[in-house]
Amino acid sequence: MGDYLKAGSGDLEYSILVEGVSLSIGRSRLLDDVSLKVKRGSMTAILGANGAGKTTVLKCLLGLVKPSSGRVEVNGRDVNLYSRVDLARELAYVPQLLNASVSFTVLDFVMMGRYAYEGGFGYQDKEGEGVAMDALQRVDMSKFIDRKLHTLSGGERQKVCLAAALAQESEILILDEPSAHLDPRQSEEVHRLLAGVAESSGLTILTVTHDLNWAAMDYDYVFGMKDGRVVAEGLASEVITCDGLRALFGVDFTIVPHPDTERGMVVPTVRNREGGIS
Amino acid sequence: MKGNVKIWCLIILALVTVFVTPWLGERSIGFDVLARPFTMGVDDLDAVIFWQIRVPRLLLAFLAGVGLSLGGVVFQAMFRNALATPFTLGVAGGASFGVALWVQLGLSFSILGIGGISLAAMGGAVFSILLLYGLVRASGKSSPMTMLLGGVAISFFFSSLIMLLQYLMDIGDSFRVIHWLMGDIGRANLDSVLQVFPFVASGGLIVMYLRRELNLLSVSDEIAASRGVNVDGVRVVLFFAVSLMVAGIITVCGPIGFVGIMAPHMCRLVFGANHRVLVPTSLIFGGVFLTWCDTLARTVSVSSEIPVGIVTALLGGPFFLWLLFKHGERH
Repeated sequence: MGDYLKAGSGDLEYSILVEGVSLSIGRSRLLDDVSLKVKRGSMTAILGANGAGKTTVLKCLLGLVKPSSGRVEVNGRDVNLYSRVDLARELAYVPQLLNASVSFTVLDFVMMGRYAYEGGFGYQDKEGEGVAMDALQRVDMSKFIDRKLHTLSGGERQKVCLAAALAQESEILILDEPSAHLDPRQSEEVHRLLAGVAESSGLTILTVTHDLNWAAMDYDYVFGMKDGRVVAEGLASEVITCDGLRALFGVDFTIVPHPDTERGMVVPTVRNREGGIS
Repeated sequence: MKGNVKIWCLIILALVTVFVTPWLGERSIGFDVLARPFTMGVDDLDAVIFWQIRVPRLLLAFLAGVGLSLGGVVFQAMFRNALATPFTLGVAGGASFGVALWVQLGLSFSILGIGGISLAAMGGAVFSILLLYGLVRASGKSSPMTMLLGGVAISFFFSSLIMLLQYLMDIGDSFRVIHWLMGDIGRANLDSVLQVFPFVASGGLIVMYLRRELNLLSVSDEIAASRGVNVDGVRVVLFFAVSLMVAGIITVCGPIGFVGIMAPHMCRLVFGANHRVLVPTSLIFGGVFLTWCDTLARTVSVSSEIPVGIVTALLGGPFFLWLLFKHGERH
């Protein structure tokens, strides 16, 4: 992946543009003058402690929340000017682990990603079924089409969610902690799939995550948020540093180079045993 | 069994219901009445009972079952809770209150051919929804559980208001309201069928049209919005469609409980969660279910009949408990 400039045209090509966005609900200020630009075709992560406003930024992009001030643009157009259907064609969303009570079959669920391309009543998008199958193939879940979602493991459910988002055929993929609650193997699978998707399709990927090493390893560009503000931005290697992480999380980490790629990996700083468990 | 086979079984069940139940009853009637559909007067008692009592009753029960079942499907999807129905969410309470108020005030007028009492039920239903929705919007607390509890509270609130009105009424009006509250299809005639039909048909068409939206709403609001659903708009339309159906039914038949929980849940177990299939099958099964409940209500006791609301609740109560304790956790 490497240089984040690789995919875009190199200069002003941004898929997502957030400028000076503030949002207050009641007396609490959720976002405070947030600006971020996401290069077309890049993999960009938003890091930050819980409550830093990361998910709220995603909600602004999805048009679920209207900022009190500022501008949100998707593919060069104000997000408010899109109809919901048009926005869905530009931008797909993968949530945190899907509620286990959802009992659609895998194929039905992925087909629901085709909403923006279908008509009303019983109209079924025939072409869409091919797209859905293709998406399932890409996440290696095509053998599971008739399984009910609630019978799948968390990792498998997440892969199906990714397939549903891919079936939406949008240029931008937005993910909210896609590997939270997954065991190491499952989250590794999800990460691998996403890297593959980014590599092969050139999608713009914007992810909110707590997984620092995943961000360090796979992402081109990183924004750090704290208390509703963007406090750090840059290449992953510029933001995921000892100082950067201390500023974001108020905790000391140690950064060591990955044995294969030399990318900086995050490990816990050795704890003072005397001060630790007492 | 494959999906198509199951659907054909349901269609056959519906046809059997429609063609068999009119022949069930205290008085046995020969097939020859089919040849005398427009008999008037009491000379031909068989034809009168068949065409003017049993057939309208079948149609009304079926229509009411359709509407109540669809109301259940819609609310269960929107609130993502298997126990949500217009009844648990206070819509029926509101409609009942509207009717009680109407009776108490002794009003009588109609607008555009719609009876005033229907308008009162509709007004009550819409008011209860706006109340709940307004509270949710104002507080920002829109978790399905909060809405459900809010609906239950609104239901209780309206029940007390109805009791208060009854307390103030004279005995005749009060009995009218009590009998109405039991839920009864015994008053069916062709007029009542024609009165309910437009409500169920228009509400039903809206729900049929919005099946894909129901699928997405049943997953989560964020998912629905990100796939392209205008969540707030669709929600309002669905609320409106359900109020329309429930108010139309409730005015004529009174509040008939549990159909909205039982029919959709049975269909979900048999046909799965996809609303493309769930909506039409619940629609048919709701009609079938209520028709059989009503047939039971009018045949089980020899000299009189039980209001159908009692039968559905007697069947529905244990089913509700089973649902709650067996599947409650997952929902």
